[in-house]
Amino acid sequence: MAEPRLGAELASPFPIATEPQKPRPRKVPELPILERRNWLIHLHYIRKDYDACKIAIKEQLHETQGMCEYAVYVQALILRLEGKIQESLELFQTCSILNPQSADNLKQVARSLFLLGKHKAAIEVYNEAAKLNQKDWEICHNLGVCYMYLKHFNKAKDQLNDALQLNRHDLTYMMLGKIHLLQGETDKAIEVYKKAVEFSPENTELLTTLGLLYLQLGVYQKAFEHLGNALTYDPTNYKAILAAGSMMQTHGDFDVALTKYRVVAYTMPESPPLWNNIGMCFFGKKKYVAAISCLKRANYLAPFDWKILYNLGLVHLTMQQYASAFHFLSAAVNFQPRMGELYMLLAVALTNLEDVENAKRSYEQAVALNQCNPLVNLNYAVLLYNQGDKKGALCQYHEMEKKVNALKENSALDFDPEMVDVAQKVGAALQAGESLVWTKPVKDSKSKQRAATSSKPSSTQQPLGSNQALGQAMSSAAGYGKTMQLSTSMSEGNTSRSERAESLIYRAMGAPGFF
Amino acid sequence: MVYVDEIDIDQEGIAEMMLDENAIAQVARPGTSLKLPGTSQGGGPSPAVRPVTQSGRPVTGFVRPSTQSGRPGTMEQAIRTPRTAHTARPITSASGRYVRLGTASMLTNPEGPFINLSRLNLAKYAQKPKLAKVFLSCGCVSVYFLKALDLAALATEHAQYKDWWWKVQIGKCYYRLGLYREAEKQFKSALKQQDMVDTILYLAKVYFRLDQPLTALHLFKQGLDRFPGEVTLLCGIARIYEEMNNISLAAEYYREVLKQDNTHVEAIACIGSNHFYSDQPEIALRFYRRLLQMGVYNCQLFNNLGLCCFYAQQYDMTLTSLERALSLAENEEAAADVWYNLGHVAVGIGDLNLAYQCFKLTLANNNDHAEAYNNLAVLEIRRGHVEQARALLQTASSLAPHMYEPHFNFAALSDQVGDLQRSYIAAQKSKEAFPGHVDTQQLIKQLKQHFAML
Repeated sequence: MAEPRLGAELASPFPIATEPQKPRPRKVPELPILERRNWLIHLHYIRKDYDACKIAIKEQLHETQGMCEYAVYVQALILRLEGKIQESLELFQTCSILNPQSADNLKQVARSLFLLGKHKAAIEVYNEAAKLNQKDWEICHNLGVCYMYLKHFNKAKDQLNDALQLNRHDLTYMMLGKIHLLQGETDKAIEVYKKAVEFSPENTELLTTLGLLYLQLGVYQKAFEHLGNALTYDPTNYKAILAAGSMMQTHGDFDVALTKYRVVAYTMPESPPLWNNIGMCFFGKKKYVAAISCLKRANYLAPFDWKILYNLGLVHLTMQQYASAFHFLSAAVNFQPRMGELYMLLAVALTNLEDVENAKRSYEQAVALNQCNPLVNLNYAVLLYNQGDKKGALCQYHEMEKKVNALKENSALDFDPEMVDVAQKVGAALQAGESLVWTKPVKDSKSKQRAATSSKPSSTQQPLGSNQALGQAMSSAAGYGKTMQLSTSMSEGNTSRSERAESLIYRAMGAPGFF
Repeated sequence: MVYVDEIDIDQEGIAEMMLDENAIAQVARPGTSLKLPGTSQGGGPSPAVRPVTQSGRPVTGFVRPSTQSGRPGTMEQAIRTPRTAHTARPITSASGRYVRLGTASMLTNPEGPFINLSRLNLAKYAQKPKLAKVFLSCGCVSVYFLKALDLAALATEHAQYKDWWWKVQIGKCYYRLGLYREAEKQFKSALKQQDMVDTILYLAKVYFRLDQPLTALHLFKQGLDRFPGEVTLLCGIARIYEEMNNISLAAEYYREVLKQDNTHVEAIACIGSNHFYSDQPEIALRFYRRLLQMGVYNCQLFNNLGLCCFYAQQYDMTLTSLERALSLAENEEAAADVWYNLGHVAVGIGDLNLAYQCFKLTLANNNDHAEAYNNLAVLEIRRGHVEQARALLQTASSLAPHMYEPHFNFAALSDQVGDLQRSYIAAQKSKEAFPGHVDTQQLIKQLKQHFAML
């Protein structure tokens, strides 16, 4: 681009050599104006032509002995884009010395401090800037984000709400939603995200996050709606596809879910949640070997993820490989000790490994931890019945009936037919008062045990993805500062990615002297 | 007597790596050079699955003295990196191992050197081919290359340039002296006279040094036409493909090797490790068991057996194999690696305290074990000790700048705390080490958004 050279005006317009004897009145040399080339610098900067921009800045600074505020400012912006925050901070400080009355310069200084992780200092500078400029949403928003990093959630919420009143922005909504989630107020977070989606209905980030929140609450219709919208705007959105796929899996559309996952598998070849869900799809289609290999890949990539281990245990139980099932389930229990279903499955594995004592203990733990899943009690009842402890079995059976009735009142959950089938047999065997209308002949108890275990999958399959993806959704909500990741397990998932099965070593094997 | 086959001594010292410029093309096209580890066109496992030794070179299944696995960029870098990072032995400034081998051969006689070569009148011996050949075999593995060269030159003249053996000897001497083009001439004319597998291997070595892998491959394939099914040639092709990161083709040729010679340790080990890192630990286990049946009995094999057993869910054999590996470890580095793998087994059963202890023991045995530092840091993060984790990750990334994991973990950690500058720098390094890593790309994109916003 040819630059209009305004700089070389000091010489007379005509060459002196041609007219040596004509004494022309010399022009007064014009004083260089400080801001003369700002338009050019700005033009280069917004065209992302940073090299040319740097040259222009250099010339300008050289001419003005570093007094040109805008040149310094843009140079600092470029340095920030290159990731050199410390240097850009120094330059912004120079700017604010050159022009101490500008709120913009102070804001930039504070922003640099924020990017360096010095949140307290950033808050102080933002407060200074707020004194110069009362009506600025950016200051409020950034203050909110800084407070969030410092865990002052209430102050953060106030600031973000102020920012929303001044000027509504997607980012502010996201941060506000995130703070509600960090404090565990899902319903409030949903309210915030609803407003946000009304305000900007095409933001896929907001749509997926809202969809995932609905998914967590189990409001499938709305979740599907929002995720579908997100996918219309961005058909390859990883999180949305994962969430939509996991929803389809819960409803049993495994083939549809698999086609969805196929879209993402190319872009995210090493994503543990994705492989886990694909594995569970195959499991649903009764392709157990494929399921195991997918799940094992997921487990290799994320060794700390209890859900993958849980699923692996489940599949191995179905395959009747009880030793491996016990191994994976006990690993999952180590990572997630507060979950009833895990102990129940562990007990089922132990029963088949002929360790009844430990199986009983495990069931006790499961019953203590689990409040609403009747399967636990049913399985326990079957075990006790098989051991000849009729009384204990009856007790567990009644517990189960309580849970079933409670569930019936709560929601129109349809029970797994296999479970109902086994329950009646046990009921008949125990001659318990039948509160549920179940009539079927009794088979030998061995098959009950098996049936009870194999009824597990269909009812407690938990493809992860939903809540995993939520963690990711939260963590990548671009805000003015990145907020803490939602669930610790997610960040673990990120960092543990690096754990790898080890370099096989063969240092000595190669020495040709040996062979 | 000490005699080491010439073909397997192929060791570049730092000087050869840095200061030699034998390659013609400075920036070769990807897939035609050994110096750019480039992207693996062979569709091998990515660094997220298979560990790398230098940036982009996956660990190999079998370490030969001539294994190079990546080159340092500058002299300073070469001096700073751990000594075993580029070759199978501690690296020297110029290949001084010949000196050691030579002196060893001379010193086998307790009374001192057997022959004082500097005193011999070579011209006289060159007249008697039988004597000369014996001398040269002694001389060639000794310090006196130049002497040997003189003798060989005289002898070949005496044989009127009709004896391929002398040409090969001269070529070997030139090769040792670093005169690769001259060596190439000698080997080529020797090949014209007499087809020999050895000569083909020597010539391929020369091309390897000149960084012309495709020429070497062509040569090998020609050799295979003359010697169909020759194992060393097939193996040479596989090695070159492996150096070029074309894992799938390398595996194919190793399979060919096994069809010819089903006890070929190198091929079995390479295919085994390949299967292990492509989600098939059961098949890998069969290959390593084969090695065990053949009577290979060392720490590394049992370590690999233990790992394969664990990942193939053969829980009865896992720990016994790893214990055996520990008892067979002949040095601290090997023991460290076994402890490291035990740490992985501990993570697999969910016993994080045991894993923690195992990684600590790894470090006690080998202080420069970058992977162990990284994994310890991950465990520390799980415990919530952010500062310790950060220090450990920094140690790991300074020890092994070619590993992407410590960089990425450090970036993720800094990003959580909000120190975006450090996060960005670390993420950039992670991207350099493993360009295809999706999480790193996402992190960088996110950070750039932060930097661009007002």
